[in-house]
Amino acid sequence: MSRGEQRPQDFLGGLAAAARGMGVVIKQVFRPDVTERYPQQIDEPPPRSHIGRHLLNRYENGLEKCIGCELCAYACPADAIWVEGADNDPENPVSPGERHAKDYQINYLRCIMCGLCVEACPTRALTMTHAYEMAFTSREDAIFTKEQLLEPPLPLGTAPGTQEG
Amino acid sequence: MTQEAVTLTIDGKEVTVPKGTLIIRAAEQLGIEIPRFCDHPLLEPAGACRQCYVEVEGQAKLFTSCTATVAPGMAVRTQNSSEVVHEAQVANLEFLLLNHPLDCPICDRGGECPLQDQALAFGPGESRYVEAKRTFEKPIPLSPLVGLDRERCVLCARCTRFCDQISGDRFIELFARGAGERVSIAAGEDFLSPFSGNTIQICPVGALTATPYRFVARPFDLSSVDTVCPHCSAGCNVKLDVRRGKVVRHLARDNLDVNDAWLCDKGRFAFRFPDDERRVTIPLLRDRGLEPTSFGEVMDAIGDWSRGKRVAFLTGGRLADEDAYALSKVARTAFVTNDLDHRREFAGGEAERLAAVAVTDRALSVTYRDVERAKAIVVAGLDAEQEVPILHLRLRKAARRGARIFVLNPRRTRLWDVAEHVLCRPGQEAHVLEQIVDGEGGDSGVGRAADALREAGEAGVVLAGMRLAEHPLAADVALRAARRTGARFSLVPRRAGDKGALAAGVHPRLLPGGRRVDDPGERAEVEAVWGELKNVVPGRNAKQILEAAANREIDVLFLVGVDPLRDFPDARLARHALENVPYKVVQSLELGSLEPFADAFLPAAAFPERDAHFTTWEGRAQRIRPVRGPAGLSRPDWEIFAGLARAMGGSLGFESLEDLQEESVGLLSPRAFSGGASAWVGAGAPQWIDELTLFTYPLLVDEGRLSEGASELKAALEEKPFLEIHPVDADKRSIADGGEVRVRTQAGQAVVPVRVTPDIAEGSVFVPFNQPGLAANTLLSGRFTAGATVEAVAAAEAAADPERLTVGGGP
Ligand code: SF4
Ligand code: SF4
Ligand code: SF4
Ligand code: SF4
Ligand code: FES
Repeated sequence: MSRGEQRPQDFLGGLAAAARGMGVVIKQVFRPDVTERYPQQIDEPPPRSHIGRHLLNRYENGLEKCIGCELCAYACPADAIWVEGADNDPENPVSPGERHAKDYQINYLRCIMCGLCVEACPTRALTMTHAYEMAFTSREDAIFTKEQLLEPPLPLGTAPGTQEG
Repeated sequence: MTQEAVTLTIDGKEVTVPKGTLIIRAAEQLGIEIPRFCDHPLLEPAGACRQCYVEVEGQAKLFTSCTATVAPGMAVRTQNSSEVVHEAQVANLEFLLLNHPLDCPICDRGGECPLQDQALAFGPGESRYVEAKRTFEKPIPLSPLVGLDRERCVLCARCTRFCDQISGDRFIELFARGAGERVSIAAGEDFLSPFSGNTIQICPVGALTATPYRFVARPFDLSSVDTVCPHCSAGCNVKLDVRRGKVVRHLARDNLDVNDAWLCDKGRFAFRFPDDERRVTIPLLRDRGLEPTSFGEVMDAIGDWSRGKRVAFLTGGRLADEDAYALSKVARTAFVTNDLDHRREFAGGEAERLAAVAVTDRALSVTYRDVERAKAIVVAGLDAEQEVPILHLRLRKAARRGARIFVLNPRRTRLWDVAEHVLCRPGQEAHVLEQIVDGEGGDSGVGRAADALREAGEAGVVLAGMRLAEHPLAADVALRAARRTGARFSLVPRRAGDKGALAAGVHPRLLPGGRRVDDPGERAEVEAVWGELKNVVPGRNAKQILEAAANREIDVLFLVGVDPLRDFPDARLARHALENVPYKVVQSLELGSLEPFADAFLPAAAFPERDAHFTTWEGRAQRIRPVRGPAGLSRPDWEIFAGLARAMGGSLGFESLEDLQEESVGLLSPRAFSGGASAWVGAGAPQWIDELTLFTYPLLVDEGRLSEGASELKAALEEKPFLEIHPVDADKRSIADGGEVRVRTQAGQAVVPVRVTPDIAEGSVFVPFNQPGLAANTLLSGRFTAGATVEAVAAAEAAADPERLTVGGGP
């Protein structure tokens, strides 16, 4: 009956408890503010945070790391990824080896940002970035194409819809 | 046949199996899974991969369970109960993986790979191998259909054994030994077997892959349905794999009663036709041009055209059984006509009676199992490899089991290494078969066939192909030959819907179940279900319908899944017919060459959109299932027929597929044939004609409409047009092999490359039915035409000739 012992037994005990509670509130009032004034003032997330939009990476020679293997799509619990593989033209390859991704899409209406896709990727082609600003005005906009995913995300605060007004 | 039984124990469990059973099969019966790569139940044991080790008590060495047979009292221990076996299997998997590239992520087999699965289940978690792996150039195209990745190969010899034992097309072989051992094909050769795709499916790794499926999907992308191949009457069981509504591949399903585990390459790779861009999925009605409209309006227009008019229906062999039944009923009840036919062959005479036998007399009929177990088989007028490919594999299987096979055909077929061929001029089959009926044994091919059939008795089989149906007597004589010798008999049509259409009575003289329209007793059985039939006079067959149409004796012609210009063996007649019928209604997937002629178009649902049945050449009805709904506004054919009946002011009496099936089952169920005696009085000896007979039949891969979009298949197996002539005939006309000739008939002429070959009967010339650039029906007035002339054409002259084919470029 440990909780029972703390229960105020009488009126005075009740007052004391209320005062203790108010004490917590008053202490809180004088502590520094943690609310971010987004979007007027944007704090960069920690440098290695992977909390936002995906990025399809390239090798230094410009070839895409993605080989269109669809393992990310298989791993995804939300079925958010669509990949279509295709043959590489040996003269003009898109990625090293035989296969590349002809099409690659992530549907951010489905994605739950769990990162399982990144873990599944055998070539480290897919990573997540800190670009958490994903507000859309249409369903189509929420489906990122391969071209979009190959581009590094815009700096925070510049995405449409983040400006005040 | 009683077989000696053997009792043994596996992992302590007792099992009794027939003598000669392999240990691995006995284990399967107990549900014990032994890992394996090279073992395949339909191939002979090879013991190549060494994965299936088991321990036999009292034996020092481990056994490979896929090669060792059971013995009485044997005590076998698998990985489940023996540590030694487990270790050996783990070691062997590590060994197999030494040279295996770790490219599962880009391998088409990844996700459904026996090597992946078994490495996970039975293998070591890690490899100790750090040295460089063996590398090969990859992928090597064995043909436009099959790619070979030697790095992934585990040298199980399944592919080479398939080619050796099953298809007999020995294009690929294992070369060299040790680390350098590899699957190879002769330099400059292509893997041109029409069964090449099977090697892909049985390869236990991703070493053989299908080009049309290359990088197209992953197993987890696919939804599958079990259905039946629509391409021929073999009725192979297939699995359709679909990614986002699009069919991306066909795989064989195992069915030992039908296709074993095999498909031909057409069935495997010709799957793009339902998605062809030329497909039309909206009703059209001719106003100024063909204008899109609604079903209601088209039906009303057709109703107006047809009321009280002379109507005829032509269809091909592509209709499913239910559609054929609805067509048979709508033609006879709503349109009161018996002018309907599903055949391409311009048959006549006794072939009609035979058709009735074909659907009624089950006591005679043949199944794949009968073929497999037969002791003597006569294949007449059928090029099985090209026309019903899986039957060809069954014939080869029968030959391996000791059957004696005789082929009676104007052209040598791909059974050449296992069968004796009797080459006979087209049209003379009846005469040759008569010798079998007469029981003339002796020292000729026919004599030996007669003797073999007689000896085999009940274990004899006579298969009559559609080339016999072309002759008024030949098929009937074949039936007699079977009856006389006690053999079983079957008419083997080519296309998937042929047998079903025949059974449903899409035929001018036959009602459902082979009942004759002019036989009051048989007709009454149908009338009990359909109501009184007003037209009891046998109608016109396909040829007569076209002729009547050309003579303006038909007002409305329905073309259901058929293009007379391309499908019938007389293009000129077909054109006259189309030009002289006031109203042509096309019901199909697309308009194709009928575009200028069609007055109305009714869009039909395609094969992967259908729930229905196809009946195999044996008479086995098998269900096809939809993978998606009908595209656009298209509807299943039977629904369109029901709509037509309503437009004519009647009703077909069924509104759902279930009702249709319920109604038809009684009429289609087997019954005894009660036909009268044949009018056959003897074919008589053929007259000698000093002219060439031109004949044709479709090759497996041609410009047929169900092969549309199968570009890789065509690149691999579609032949350019050619003309075959016997050396004796060629000599007389100073024709040299490889040159070009002009072939001339009453119907037309063409300049074609020539092959001089003894593999064709003297006095006949062969042109395939529909290769790119030459439709043989422009030369013919029927499947074979006597009185063709063939003359050599000099190269220069040939080049300048306007009739010349552009050979080499080709699509
Ligand atoms: S982060 Fe998770 S939900 Fe989003 S795409 Fe990747 S696997 Fe799917
Ligand atoms: S991102 Fe990675 S896992 Fe996804 S397809 Fe590309 S390579 Fe494969
Ligand atoms: S290619 Fe495949 S089927 Fe042929 S030997 Fe190699 S692993 Fe076996
Ligand atoms: S044999 Fe006939 S049914 Fe079988 S796969 Fe080939 S075309 Fe299809
Ligand atoms: S499965 Fe027995 S040796 Fe390969």
